[in-house]
Amino acid sequence: MLFAIGAVSGTILSFELGLLWPTFTEYSGSVIGLPFALEGFAFFLEAIFFGLYLYGWKRLSPLAHWLCSFPIWIGGLLSAWFVVSANAWMNTPAGFEIQNGEVVGINPIAAILNPSTPYETTHMIFACYVATGFGVAALYAVSMLRGNRDEYRRKGLLLGMVMGSIALPFQMLSGHASAVFLAEAQPTKLAAMEGHFRTEAGAPLRIGGWADPATGQVHYAFEIPKGLSILAYNDPDATVRGLDQFARADWPNVPLVHLSFDGMVSIGLLALLIGTAFWFLYFKGKRSVPKNRWMLWAVGCLGPLAFLAIELGWMVTELGRQPWVIYGVLRTEDAVTTATGLDVSFLVFSLIYVLLAITLAWLLHNLSRIPLPKGDQREKTSGPRAPERIGV
Amino acid sequence: MMEVDLAYAMVAVLWLALIAYAVLGGADFGAGMWDLLAFGRTAEKQRNLINQALGPVWEANHVWLIFLIVGLYAAFPFAFAKVSIALFLPLTLALLGIVLRGAAFIFRTYAVNAGTFTRVWSRVFSSTSTITPFLFGTAAAAVASGRIRVQGEFVETDLSTIWLTPFALTIGVMAVSLCAVLAAIYLTVEAQHAKEEELVRVYRWRALLAGAVTAALGAWGLFLAPSAAPLLWNGMLDHALPLVFATMLTGGVTAVMLLLQKYRLARILIVLETAGLLGAWGISQLPYLIPPDVTVERAAGSPVMITALLIGSLLGMIILLPSLWLLFRIFKSRRDTDSGPLLHP
Repeated sequence: MLFAIGAVSGTILSFELGLLWPTFTEYSGSVIGLPFALEGFAFFLEAIFFGLYLYGWKRLSPLAHWLCSFPIWIGGLLSAWFVVSANAWMNTPAGFEIQNGEVVGINPIAAILNPSTPYETTHMIFACYVATGFGVAALYAVSMLRGNRDEYRRKGLLLGMVMGSIALPFQMLSGHASAVFLAEAQPTKLAAMEGHFRTEAGAPLRIGGWADPATGQVHYAFEIPKGLSILAYNDPDATVRGLDQFARADWPNVPLVHLSFDGMVSIGLLALLIGTAFWFLYFKGKRSVPKNRWMLWAVGCLGPLAFLAIELGWMVTELGRQPWVIYGVLRTEDAVTTATGLDVSFLVFSLIYVLLAITLAWLLHNLSRIPLPKGDQREKTSGPRAPERIGV
Repeated sequence: MMEVDLAYAMVAVLWLALIAYAVLGGADFGAGMWDLLAFGRTAEKQRNLINQALGPVWEANHVWLIFLIVGLYAAFPFAFAKVSIALFLPLTLALLGIVLRGAAFIFRTYAVNAGTFTRVWSRVFSSTSTITPFLFGTAAAAVASGRIRVQGEFVETDLSTIWLTPFALTIGVMAVSLCAVLAAIYLTVEAQHAKEEELVRVYRWRALLAGAVTAALGAWGLFLAPSAAPLLWNGMLDHALPLVFATMLTGGVTAVMLLLQKYRLARILIVLETAGLLGAWGISQLPYLIPPDVTVERAAGSPVMITALLIGSLLGMIILLPSLWLLFRIFKSRRDTDSGPLLHP
């Protein structure tokens, strides 16, 4: 079911590229159109085998059915890589030159493999695994809190925690690599993320607080001396460029980017804490899933928080790129459509999404109340109601 | 010269994607309309048949549209941008239709029990299935009519004077009825596979009826074309007449096959008919992508990108076509629904 909602949302994305950002498409299509088209094929692969997987329970042998899941996750992985590479290109445009206002020297491969691509794609893909893992674990944790403590829930919880916990350290390392990279590639973004207004040597790391662009001060922040210099350059006395090096018109919304970034990082650290506690209890209890209420509550909260972290991360990368839609090339205000009625269109789409979200949540909630079929373990995953379960 | 050839090759690829979307996605829209018109004693059976036919394939069918859009964006960014501005209104509405339709179908499929919830989303599904192809039809007619003027870089958003003309309305309704024909013929075959003789009769007559309506609207569209879409009309006279006649003939033969109860043959013919119809539009319109100001050559993006896209599409098709074949073999071949596992690797 979620896949279907994702599929129609993907349609919105491709249509709105033109409907909302015609100037952007004119500029970018010839340079970065390729990954979008390739993503189309990856999406095809996913959709086809999703149909086979969901509706093929009776028509395929168990092995053939299981094999159908491979193109789904491979297609998903490829989709994510292609789409994020296009976004990376917006951050560090490559594979073309501009001469006399004309785009020339186009190299689609260089555009896909732009400098940000390795950092952004790995960070996003690990984020998917972290959030999905903890999300799944959270569902089962909540179910266990309600008293359903059978083998099925315990295994589900364990599987989710394994996936999330393995991906988490990689996610943090890729995040750190991204920040180091940003210091050179998009200094305005890094400066906004860290609320770093003044260029200085031995710059402190400011955590939280209100970064006020009017005064250039970060109020109520917790400061770690020389922290930022160490993080960005591995050198406590390195000079970190601040926003003062750039024209005010080229600044992103500093307080929003700073808080989104800190929110994302805090959730990551919290996940590390909860994950460590979970595995400590697991091994201490001789490899049994912790039944401690506090632990289950923590895992239950971690799921939604992990998804919130993804959203905050996108706010950092998107708001942090402003005022540019293609960094250093095209400003957002110049890319938007000249069509009127945008406010109406925005309102209508927002309302529809609220409606769809409520309906979806309500339906998922009802589906989750259908009892599992009785029987042995095998039937639990291939019984008559199972397709719908996997389908959600 | 090489660059122009590349651009034309890319137009051909996109037009094939358009045809694939029409014969696959179009039929899904049509099935939604028949859902709206499911009444009488067999109404419940009709809805079940539609659900079974649509469930496994509609998402894959839908991806053709996404491929079409992103392909247009990558290969012909100029045309994509201008059409998006000029036809902002019908395309935004069509997009809303697509989103609501997909969501509504899935909501009603997974609804735990029948009731108001299922009924309401069922209506949303069937009504958006009808409105969306209508909007696409009017948008296509708006492009074909040659009324979108691109002066230099500038193009104006149209509120109603281009996509709500009598010609555009005719083509919009025709798109709806064509989807209905496609779906009715497919459902006839599906009903036959499911051994539902009563439904076979129902959908066969609906196919014939909708086919007659489509033919009449097509004739009316042709009558309007010389004044409403002069460039298209002249292009057709100049280089698409054989295809147009072949298409008309195919339509006639399809009806005969339905009467002779050769449903599987009729299914192949209606696919050819749809391909002929859209192909004739495309060929008549050449060399324009948006007549009369934007030719294929002018709209084409960088030749490097188009080459990359052509290679990418070729590689993609090598993976895609066997997968699609598998999907349709598993769900659309002549087997009973509950015949157990069919495929052993």
